[in-house]
Amino acid sequence: MANVIVNRVQEFLKRFPPFSFLNQADLELVASQVEIQFLAESEILFRKNEVARPHFYILKEGQIGLYDHDELKDFCDEGDVFGVLALLGKRPYIYEAKIEKDSLVYSIPVAVFEEILDKNSKVALYFAAGFASGQVVIRQDLSTGQKARGVLKKENLDHSLLIFSDPSQIQFSEKVIQILPSATVQEAAQKMASASVSSIVVCQPDQIPLGIITDKDLRNKVVAQALPLDSSVEGVMTTPVITKKKGAGFSDLYLSMIKNRLHHLILTEDGSPNSPICGILSDHDVLLSMGNSPAVLIHALLNTEEISEMKSIRDRAETMLSYYLENEVAMDFVASVLTEINDVIIQQAVKIAQNALADQFPELKSLRFAFLCLGSEGREEQLLRTDLDNALLYEDPPQGLEAKAKDYFLQLGNKVIEALVACGFLPCPGEIMTSNPKWNQPLSRWKKHFTDWIYTPTPDAVLSASIFFDFRPVAGHTSLAEDLSLHIYDTIQKKKDFLSFLGQNAILTPPPLGFFKDLVVEKTQEHRDQFDIKTRAMLPLIDLARLLTLSYGVVGINNTFKRFEKLGELEPRNAELFTQAGKAYEILMRMRALEGLKHQNNGRYIRPENMGKLQRQLLKSTFAPIAELQELVRVRFQLDLLRA
Amino acid sequence: MSWWDIFRKSEDSRSYVREFLEKSKVKIPAIRRLDQLRFVVLDTETTGLDPTKDHILSFGAVKIENSKILVKSSMELYPESSRKIGKSAEIHGITQVPNPVRQEEFTKTILQYIGNSILVGQHIHFDKAMLEKITGIPSMPTITIDTANLALRLEKGPQAQWNQVAQKDYSLDSLCERFGIKADDRHTASGDAFLTAQLFLKLLKLAESKGILTYGELLKTY
Repeated sequence: MANVIVNRVQEFLKRFPPFSFLNQADLELVASQVEIQFLAESEILFRKNEVARPHFYILKEGQIGLYDHDELKDFCDEGDVFGVLALLGKRPYIYEAKIEKDSLVYSIPVAVFEEILDKNSKVALYFAAGFASGQVVIRQDLSTGQKARGVLKKENLDHSLLIFSDPSQIQFSEKVIQILPSATVQEAAQKMASASVSSIVVCQPDQIPLGIITDKDLRNKVVAQALPLDSSVEGVMTTPVITKKKGAGFSDLYLSMIKNRLHHLILTEDGSPNSPICGILSDHDVLLSMGNSPAVLIHALLNTEEISEMKSIRDRAETMLSYYLENEVAMDFVASVLTEINDVIIQQAVKIAQNALADQFPELKSLRFAFLCLGSEGREEQLLRTDLDNALLYEDPPQGLEAKAKDYFLQLGNKVIEALVACGFLPCPGEIMTSNPKWNQPLSRWKKHFTDWIYTPTPDAVLSASIFFDFRPVAGHTSLAEDLSLHIYDTIQKKKDFLSFLGQNAILTPPPLGFFKDLVVEKTQEHRDQFDIKTRAMLPLIDLARLLTLSYGVVGINNTFKRFEKLGELEPRNAELFTQAGKAYEILMRMRALEGLKHQNNGRYIRPENMGKLQRQLLKSTFAPIAELQELVRVRFQLDLLRA
Repeated sequence: MSWWDIFRKSEDSRSYVREFLEKSKVKIPAIRRLDQLRFVVLDTETTGLDPTKDHILSFGAVKIENSKILVKSSMELYPESSRKIGKSAEIHGITQVPNPVRQEEFTKTILQYIGNSILVGQHIHFDKAMLEKITGIPSMPTITIDTANLALRLEKGPQAQWNQVAQKDYSLDSLCERFGIKADDRHTASGDAFLTAQLFLKLLKLAESKGILTYGELLKTY
């Protein structure tokens, strides 16, 4: 047993990554090798270009600034790991470490840690992802960061699976279709076909599973390879099989499917591959058990016109969302699924409203219109039911029908908003909704709005532009919206200055790079000491992406990360930056949504002190691309000239 | 043969004691810089406060070299009591002593450990007296620094006297609080030694800021 002093050091270390990923023995080993020093304010721990010491550091107490010449690059406080270049490649220090407040510094010998780095992939990933302070060089690969976050939080993965942890809910087939190893692939396929299943287990006569053949195997290994139909199943089957005990908990079963990328998991008596088979669990079974798959939800939505039912389905979507977010499901997938669900709700609401008004306005039935989603829903980025932003656009009505059309569409707009509010969406505080006559207009009026905004870019106009330019037709006639899009792009071509105004707006909020102990937090009473992730990090990225795609005249891509993706194609020399920006945006979206789900609000304000160290580092890493993009925009649109 | 017999002889027959005493003769030059000094910060838990009657239950220590606490040097020892094992230990709640070491072994280990380092501790004279008793070395030539005394002189000036201050302001608890050292679980010998070591690092830094840069200056202040 380690002595009290080693224990004391160990207790401190294990609170912080990467030490939190060490097992007891390694932790004790590391703790026992620590050296502790105390440095007073303004002392220098190491200097730039100095040869790396055989230690790296973790700050026990105090504050240390990392400087490149006189420029502050990073800031360490309790638990921050720094000076890691000694560990990674033994390069000279790239920053100077200056003590800002009296500091107690723990040095960890590189020699001890190198071995751990080799065998502990989590620790390696931690360093690879650049979480340690001062390792971050201008820009880091955010995808590694994302990956790391996914892996590093596997520990509490079970929490996210709690929603379906009741094993009694899992339905799986106890009657397993099986075949002897001596059989041919054709026999296997015939058996599968007659039982209409997608897999067959190859078993010995004593029911011990040897391998599995799935539809995919038949496609990839038999048909695609032109294998004779009388080939033995043994040559085709996937083997060995991964097995689990029949009564195992759902999360255990599901996790082993996820981890091993299995579509089918074989259940045996004692869980080992050497005991008789007694069931098979397919991902389809899992889906049904969850009851929350996108397909199930969308199907249910399409089959109801009952508002309360729609609300409850949308609530279930939220459960699914939190599961996706916790498990680091790719953001573009999560966003598309949620957008799809929101869109279906809107389409249903519009349909219900249309039906309700049909008898009252028979003459307007054929007048075309489009329901436009604006803002985040317009960009296909609305994960939570945050404020509704939408507008209604209708074909210019024939003479004499103007007043009636106005009345009809306003009633329609009102009904849709009411339905959406009943489904749990929040009304827009700025009244940018189809229920507002101002934003419920015929096409010609909309064209005029946009022309005015573009020709007279007052601050208000630029603000409106940032909301309305991301419109996306969700219900009604899409072609009307396309007409409007073309008008906008034509107008912008004629009035290029407009882009400079958008540009100025896009660089208004510099990234909160001073993100450390005194992170740029809000000062207002209501959100005191909270970090406004929307205004400070997401909006700048949204504005930048919009501006740059508009400048290329790209029509039809609203989504921020898709915009960055497109920009990467258009500008290969900046592709890397755009990729990082897109990744940063995904990270921010995920963080905000998780925060919102946790607190049942819009997730906009984050309390930095409640964030884990990893999360804070991850958040911090998203700021770098913002700064770089703002610089790029500043130069490209000559914004400094404009201001002068 | 018990250590009492050895004690009576004028020249100690134990080789490790002779070795220790020999090492202690090497004088540290007064101009040696503070960061070049070697310290052993220690604390003992005892059955009471009277070195003639009481004995050591546990001994905890850690070394400071190059102004760094070396965690790997940390040591925790539970010497076997020479008489009536168990009785007093029970009173103090230590019923199960982890790996008790025989007194001879204890003496050998700590003398080698201390060498000619400077002993540092809170009210170190008491611990030194206890060590003198258990090792059977009547007056250990080892240099000592009392952290309470050092703190007093650094805070109140070299002429400060104990009767001018409240004693309790210089207890380990008070000092830790004043110097921002979190004293989570007190009252194990090693735990206190660790706290004292951190306190001492801070005191050394304070000394440096007052222009005390060498061994000679440190001892003068102290």
